[in-house]
Order: sequence, then structure tokens, then C-alpha cells
Amino acid sequence: MNRLWITLASVSLLVALLAAAWTYARSPQPVALTPSLTGQTEYCLTCHGDLPEISSSHPVNIFGCVSCHGGERLALDADLAHSTMRGGRNPSGLTVVKASCGGDLCHSGVPSEDRDHIQRVLTSLQSTYAGAISQVLYTYGAQPDLTARYGIFALQAEQISSSNSLSSLTTFDPGSFSNAPILNFAENCLNCHLSSDPLPGEVYARFSGCAACHTPTSGEDLNQEFHQLTTAIPYNQCDTCHNRGNYDLREMEFRPRNDQPEDRLHDYYQPIAQFTQCEWELDCVDCHTRKEAMGDGNLYSNQGQVEYVRCYTCHGTLNQPPLTRTITDPNDIALRQAFLNPVVDLQQGDNILVTEKDEPLWNIRQQPDGSFELVAKVNGTKYPLPLVTGSACKQKPDQQESKYCHACHAVER
Amino acid sequence: MPASFFHHLHPPTVPARQARFRYTLGAGGISVFLILVLLLTGILEMFYYIPTPEGAALSVQSLTYLVPYGGFIRNLHYWTAQLLVVTASIHLLRVIFTGAYNRPRRLNYLLGLALLVFVLFLDFSGYVLRWDQGIHWALVAGTNLIKTIPLVGSSLYSLVMGGSGISEVTLIRFYAWHIFGLTLILIGIGVWHVFRIRRDGGIAVPPPRIRVDGQRISRDELVRREIMAAILVSVGLILLASFWPAPISAPLDTTVGTTIDSRAPWFFLWIQQLLKWGDPLIFGILIPVALVMMLALIPFILPVKEPSEMGYWFPSTARPAQILGIFSVLALLCLTILALVGF
Repeated sequence: MNRLWITLASVSLLVALLAAAWTYARSPQPVALTPSLTGQTEYCLTCHGDLPEISSSHPVNIFGCVSCHGGERLALDADLAHSTMRGGRNPSGLTVVKASCGGDLCHSGVPSEDRDHIQRVLTSLQSTYAGAISQVLYTYGAQPDLTARYGIFALQAEQISSSNSLSSLTTFDPGSFSNAPILNFAENCLNCHLSSDPLPGEVYARFSGCAACHTPTSGEDLNQEFHQLTTAIPYNQCDTCHNRGNYDLREMEFRPRNDQPEDRLHDYYQPIAQFTQCEWELDCVDCHTRKEAMGDGNLYSNQGQVEYVRCYTCHGTLNQPPLTRTITDPNDIALRQAFLNPVVDLQQGDNILVTEKDEPLWNIRQQPDGSFELVAKVNGTKYPLPLVTGSACKQKPDQQESKYCHACHAVER
Repeated sequence: MPASFFHHLHPPTVPARQARFRYTLGAGGISVFLILVLLLTGILEMFYYIPTPEGAALSVQSLTYLVPYGGFIRNLHYWTAQLLVVTASIHLLRVIFTGAYNRPRRLNYLLGLALLVFVLFLDFSGYVLRWDQGIHWALVAGTNLIKTIPLVGSSLYSLVMGGSGISEVTLIRFYAWHIFGLTLILIGIGVWHVFRIRRDGGIAVPPPRIRVDGQRISRDELVRREIMAAILVSVGLILLASFWPAPISAPLDTTVGTTIDSRAPWFFLWIQQLLKWGDPLIFGILIPVALVMMLALIPFILPVKEPSEMGYWFPSTARPAQILGIFSVLALLCLTILALVGF
């Protein structure tokens, strides 16, 4: 064994050590974050440092990433780090939402503190889809009335506080029906509930669970990165489901609308509908309340039992001005809602509109001159609120459905 | 060159022919070197490893990704352990194929065989210490095998697991066995094994009166060759550790199924394949034990009958032992390949 060989071997050892140092130098420098909520250091920002903060109410230095997304907080290998994430890229899917978004102080707390979002959402028709299912089953003779019996998932009601509310739903299992239209319905029409994937196409682009509404994606390619939660939900996000395409009841197939809307007036709702100016200039969330959209904890059979905001809720009637509330409690839910979407600088002492179920319409506030002003939640546009009370409106007090208002106030298209 | 302590561990001269790499394959010496690397890297890992169910996998992640060169050290430990199974097996085969197990080396042959078994136990216990999803199936299946042993099975299982199933006690048991119990046994038998080499007259050669080739090399040359082998093995290990990371997965969750990786570590794949064919006691315990027993009996029933054949590959008077060795290797390889292709 001569020295040459030993030297060559030593040089190759040196090269191997340099290779080890090189691979180490190439590995990412860990970026640590210790969110105050968990106190456990996580290293997700090593790769995801360029992500925008998801919302002002979930600051990353308080929540971090793992408390919502799960995953391996210490791993710097993408596969391992992501292997235990809840719900993949969307932790708000209904199967994992309790673990991701729940908690007494977060979104599965007690109703009295208005922190029971998850419990309510699970009961909402947008989750259960009980309305569509019962409608179709009734239409095709599979059940004797329109009372819902089935939902996307089985659910036992935790509360029954309305005359229409149900005690439970069982899982809708298409396999237990032999009726072809019902089977087609199951095959073609279960695309618009909170657990479903959307139909293909950018106009239908939405995630599932909470993110279906609170992460604006409409018109976008879902494959790109989204990291936003908002309560300023634009109307076209609602349109990803409520786009007013039609279900063909004979074929039980979805028929997309075939007009080519060029402006918002025509994009809004389906072509044959009538509506007033506020219905197309504002966004859905400007009038419709959280309990309408996200459920109130009761199980219902159809949308008609849930939607209760009407024209008079804001505009009043000839002999009844809209209901109002002066904010006195510093913990008033209205202040919290305005904090989440600060288009209105809402203060204690402000007088705002409320619904007949005492839900605040916190973006409609009384002005010093006594009039009311609505601030659009999505873009901050200010609108004076005309009242029926004291106007020359010819309405009859017992005719308060929207069709009576549309008779005079519908917009010409 | 003045002889150092390390030189003094070697005999002053060794027979030139039997000191060649093509005769020894360097497998025994390399195995000793690998054990030293394992001790060193293992001690370094112990500064970070937390042997609790909540902490174990996270501390491995932390070591792997956050400790400077921690991942490299862990990869080294992993690859060295895998390589040790290979070199120890090659060493065993070399001894069988050269008939070096003959009297007076029968005891040392048995010691070596025991060392191989303990290396496998050490590999398995180290694998379990990851305490992540990747080891779940093998831990459950491997330890359930113990239960099938008649009479003592369930007590032995409790002894190994520290209870009736996987718990925090299980982890501390495996930890203690890995870093302490098995390692001490390995070092003890290992030192005995090396001591016996000297006591048995060094490497196996024909008796002096019939030796044809009297050439010998000095221990300086032997040490140079050993260092050369150590350097080359180090190069291989460093490259492996730099570019092929050791397996790792999410922390063990015993509340979910074991489906994520239902594969035994590679050196036990052959047993996993056997288990597919029938009774776990027969296929999982008795056949592997019978294989070891059969290997252990070789020096006693199939010795090299002609002393002049000692110190050469494939002595003709010990053909049955060689056939047995080849048959065992082929069987294990075939079983492993079958397990890999999922037959």
C-alpha cells in the first residue's frame, strides 16, 4: 500500500466532506416563528414567508400557521411538513373545520358570545342541502311532503327553537332510491353545498367549508395560491353557487346560463328575474345576515324558512320605521363585525338598523341629521337609505313581499 | 515508525496471503469501524433525542432540520447501521466460504453469529425510536410475533413492550435497550470476538508444518490497509448521508391505522414475506430461529476436513457448508425481492 493511494483516498475524503458542507449550505436557513397563541415554535415561514396575512383578525404572529393548518411545524422537508395538514390546502373543509377553526375562544364557542359559527354552519342549508334534496324527493314521489329528512351528512339538532325546525337529518344515500331522476340528481346536482367541490370553470371557482364564502376566488384559477379570509364577501363569490343557472328537472342536469352578461346589472341573477336597484348595486352580504347565510343552529327544510330579511327590514313600511338599536355594550356583536371589516367607524352610542331577529345591520348607521346611510361592505360606497315611512309610497300594509315592491321599483333591463 | 496503542492492538506480523482484501473482503474490520461510527453519531444524537411519545418524533425532526449538521449526523447513523448489516453478513459468509469457522474458532464463530443477531436487534430498536408513522406497522407486527411463542410469549411481549400494547413505556424500553442494553452486549461480545481472534492465532491459515506460503506483512502495513478501508468507507458514508436522507415521517399516532407504510425495515422483509404464507409462530419465529440454529451448527457438523485447505476460498472438503450458505443467501434474497415486488 503506497502513499499515493493513501493520498488519493484522503483527497476523496476531503471532496466528500466538501460535498457534505455544500449540501448543508444549500439547505434553507430556518425561519422561526413562535406564535403567542401556541407558544410552540414553527418553521413554516422558511418557505412561506411571502404569503400575505390571511386577515387582520388572524395575525400570523399570534396564530402562526399550524394552529389552523396543522402540519409538521419543525419539518423543513415539504412532503413531511405538509403530510399532516388538515384538509390539504383548505383547513376549513367541514370534515376538519372543528380542529382547524374551532375552539371556545374561536369559532366553536358558546352561542351567547356569538362564537358558535361552526355549530351553526353545520346546520345551515348550505351545508345540509336539505332543501334541494327534499324538493327533489318530494317531486319524484319519494317522500310525501316537503319536510326535509335527508342531508349531505347525518346531523342531530342541538336546538329546536323554531316551529319549522327539525330534530335530525339522516345521510342522503342515493343507493337507497331506484328512481332515475333521483339518481341523476345525486349524480349531477350535488355541486353546490359546502362539502362539495365546485363545478369546473372559473365562474364556479370556490373552495369548500368556510373558505367557500370567506375566501374570494370567483373568476380565478383555483390552482393558484389563495390566502385570504374576509367578511367583505363580493356578490360574485355568492354567484359561484347562486349563479342562477338552472337545473333541468326532467333530465336532472345542471344547465349553465347561456346569456353573456357584460355588466353587473346583467350578471346579477338570472335574465328573467326582476329586482330593484339596491339588489344589484349592493352585495348580497349588505342585506342578508349571518344567520340567514350561516344558519341559526336549527335544521330547516328549505330556504324560505331561513331567509327573512325583506325590503321593509331596511326601508320600513308606511306606518312602521325600520328597527334600530343604539350600541351601548362594548361587546356588541355589531362592533366586532365592524372591526372585522372596518368600512364603518362604528362607535358606542351609534344608532344602527337591526332585523326583527335583532341581528345588527351594522353597516347602516343613523346620521346626525336623523337619516340613515348604508356603507357597502365590499367597496365602502356610501348610499343614503330612503325610508318608506313618510313617503308617498302606495304600498298596502299587508303586501310586503318583494314582488309588490318590484311592481314599481324594478329596474328596467 | 514507533508503534502506537492502535498498532499494538494488532499482531506484529500477519500472513500476507490471508491479509489480502480479496481474502478477507475487509468485512470484519469495516464492521468494527462502522460500530465506532455508530457509537460516535449515536452519542451525538442522544444530546437531542427526547424519549417520550410526544417528544420523540419532534426531536428527530428538530435534529434533522434545525440542528446544524444534525440531519447529516442522523443520516450517517442511519446509513452506517444499514451498511453494518451488510458488512456483518458478508463477514459471516466469508467465514463460511473459507471454512474459517473450524476448530479452534468454533466459539468465535458463535460469538460472531450472536453479534449479527444483536446488530439486527439494534437496527430494529433504533428504527422504532423514530416513533413516527413509518414504523407503526413494523412495531405492531414485529412485536405481535412475540406473542405467538408458546408458554412464554405473552410474558415476553409484556417484557419487551412494557404492557399490553404500545405505550410510553414501550418507547422507553426500546430506548434503554437501544442505547444501553443491546449496545453494551454488542460491545461486550464484540470485544470478546476481537480478543478471540488473537487468542485463536489470528486469521485462519493452515498449520505451520504444511504451510506453503510463509510470507508475512508487518502490522504497519496492516494498519495502513485498515485506515485505507476506513477512509474509503467514510467517503461512501458521507456521500450517502449527504444526498440520501434517512426516512422520516409524521409523529406516531396510535389512534389511526397502520396502513401508511406497512413494510418491515429492509433487513426483515424476508420475515414479512414468510409471514404471508401461514402461521406466524412457524413462519415468523421458528423458521428464522431454525436458520440461525442451522448456521450455528455448521462448525460442528460440517467442518473443513483437510487442514491444508484452511485460509483459502471454498475448501473442497466443506462443500455442504458452502451449499448451505449459498442456499441461505439465495433464499433470503428471493424472499426479500418477493416482498419488495409485493408478491
